[in-house]
Amino acid sequence: MSTSTGITGGSYQTTPSILRSLADQGFDRSTLKHIGTESYLVSERGLQAAAKAGTKTELVEELRERYLGETFASRRLFERFLKTLDNRPRSTRALKTTSPYFRKSLINERFNGEDEFRRALKELGLDLSREQTDQLVRASYTGWIWTLENFRKMFLLPETRQILLNTGFYVASTLLLFNVGFALVLAITTFYLPKGQAAIFRALWFLPRITPSVLYVLLWKWLTWDTGFINAVVANFGVTPRNWMLDTAANAWVTVILINGFIGASMGMIIFSSAMTAIPKQMLYASEVDGANRWQQIRHIILPQIKWPILFVTVYQTLSLLTSFEQIFLSTDGGPGSSTEVWALSAYHNALDNYWGNLQYGYGASLALVLVVVGVIMSLLYLRLFRFKELVKLPRIEQ
Amino acid sequence: MSHNLKNWPIVVGLILATIPIMLMYLYLFVDTFTDTLPGEMIPNRFTLVHWRFLWENIEGKASVWLAMLNTLIFAGSVTLIVLSVSSTSSYALSRLNLPFRRQFLVGVLLLHAFPSITLIIAIFLILQMVGLYNTLIGVILVKASLQLPLGIWIMKGFYDSVPWEIEMAGIQDGASRFTVWYRLVLPQVRPGFFALGLFSFLEGWSEYILPTVLAPANDVQVLSVFLAQLIQDDQHFDFNLFKSVGLFYATPVIIFYLFFQDKLMNIYGGGTKG
Repeated sequence: MSTSTGITGGSYQTTPSILRSLADQGFDRSTLKHIGTESYLVSERGLQAAAKAGTKTELVEELRERYLGETFASRRLFERFLKTLDNRPRSTRALKTTSPYFRKSLINERFNGEDEFRRALKELGLDLSREQTDQLVRASYTGWIWTLENFRKMFLLPETRQILLNTGFYVASTLLLFNVGFALVLAITTFYLPKGQAAIFRALWFLPRITPSVLYVLLWKWLTWDTGFINAVVANFGVTPRNWMLDTAANAWVTVILINGFIGASMGMIIFSSAMTAIPKQMLYASEVDGANRWQQIRHIILPQIKWPILFVTVYQTLSLLTSFEQIFLSTDGGPGSSTEVWALSAYHNALDNYWGNLQYGYGASLALVLVVVGVIMSLLYLRLFRFKELVKLPRIEQ
Repeated sequence: MSHNLKNWPIVVGLILATIPIMLMYLYLFVDTFTDTLPGEMIPNRFTLVHWRFLWENIEGKASVWLAMLNTLIFAGSVTLIVLSVSSTSSYALSRLNLPFRRQFLVGVLLLHAFPSITLIIAIFLILQMVGLYNTLIGVILVKASLQLPLGIWIMKGFYDSVPWEIEMAGIQDGASRFTVWYRLVLPQVRPGFFALGLFSFLEGWSEYILPTVLAPANDVQVLSVFLAQLIQDDQHFDFNLFKSVGLFYATPVIIFYLFFQDKLMNIYGGGTKG
């Protein structure tokens, strides 16, 4: 994980990804190619600059006579070459001050100030126009700047639409199928069971929530992977082994929803169950005397009585699902491709865990900011809905 | 409840739905002590070889005991901070007429409702800036402060249910507010105090995202990160080894769960983080 956050003050550094994005913006490609290929050249210009800066004359002469025109692919190679010369620089420091004069490119090189960077650009001898230089300087700066660029990018990138759709699908289906749907099934069925049996099922369904997520997702991997349990079972029916978690987008979605749903169901189950114990028993007995069957009991007595808990769980879990990415990160990690990449995971990926190693803190943070705004609005909403006034009422002792 | 219909269809249905859970947890225990031939479902021999990580290091990994120690320090410190801060601050919020009390409460409630994991990127940058990245202290402070709104909220609920008369009586008899809190009120909320401690400890123990982002280095690694990296780095998947490490990691959680199931269910179901 890179640690160059630019927080402690910016420096200037041109990286391949910056060059790529400049090329997309229509920057002259041959210039970029020149900047982008790291190389060292023993040139007359470099020799003069080095001599002027006080490099030993013997060394400069040796280089001029024998090695003029030679190129080296990297700084390390060039410095190693310098060390083999008859008049080699005596100290490492002298070595380090000599080599930059022969640099043909400044890719991946870090400069502490704007002037230093501009000077290095000029020394490349590329005949950059003023605008081009400014553009390079702006793009290479690693520190803070005020910009809306990240949000513009968010609106323009086609991935954003895909991620938005993924998030909507993930939240809606997990919520409906498990966090509310199956939680209701669990709560109602265990409500009708004798206490002992009900407790066993509730305890079992509570296990996914209490198990540490790394272990819990590992168990799902064991169930679904090529060498896993499902394959061992279906192999008996002649099905070839495959990775049920990652082989197709549809399968990946099913696993992601199951993994999260099994955790989500328990919270609804507990809240609905405790709400149902508060329903007066007389109502249920009366309905039975009147000949209502269980379905009618559920439909006309239980569900209306727990409509507030249902609303609470719905709002609360929507927010949780929108912002949680731990299980998806541990299981499919957004794959295959980016078919199960949801918004929160994408923010995390962009900022902290990029496959290409080019971490975009700013872009990731702006994706997260969208979630923060949604989160604040939704939490205000549900605090309005659920007993907010009563929770902040004044204490009595000092009135 | 009434038994005007037979129970067995419900039980059968529930068992069918619960099969994945039962299978996963049954095999979690069985596989750590046995070997199974590839493609088979029934293990063919008993072995302790999967537990060898307890006495020798896994290739390329630090000792599991170091990770265990880190996890203990992490979860323990988080619990300590959460308990001491929330037991005092929520008393103040519940019973004292503080200036800005309402604003404090709104803030705590909002932070409680708000999923703080979305702040992870900002937290990462801040820890880099103050130099606490890759330290246990940094990740402890972060976890504890993210846990605090919930702790304050829960403790305030408990304080709110303590009768005013107890305190009134204490004050009538000339006790200071601190004595009243310490000698009279705190014993009343002991169940809440223990439940919150238990909950914070388990939350700390299970936490994965924060340590993996904020303290991934080998010497400060907690068990969750240890296990996740073990799974990620491995070339040949040794599920039995993973499960043994996982079971070792989850043992305290399972024990606490067996003993304090009702308390835990209450606190998870009490409108807390889902």
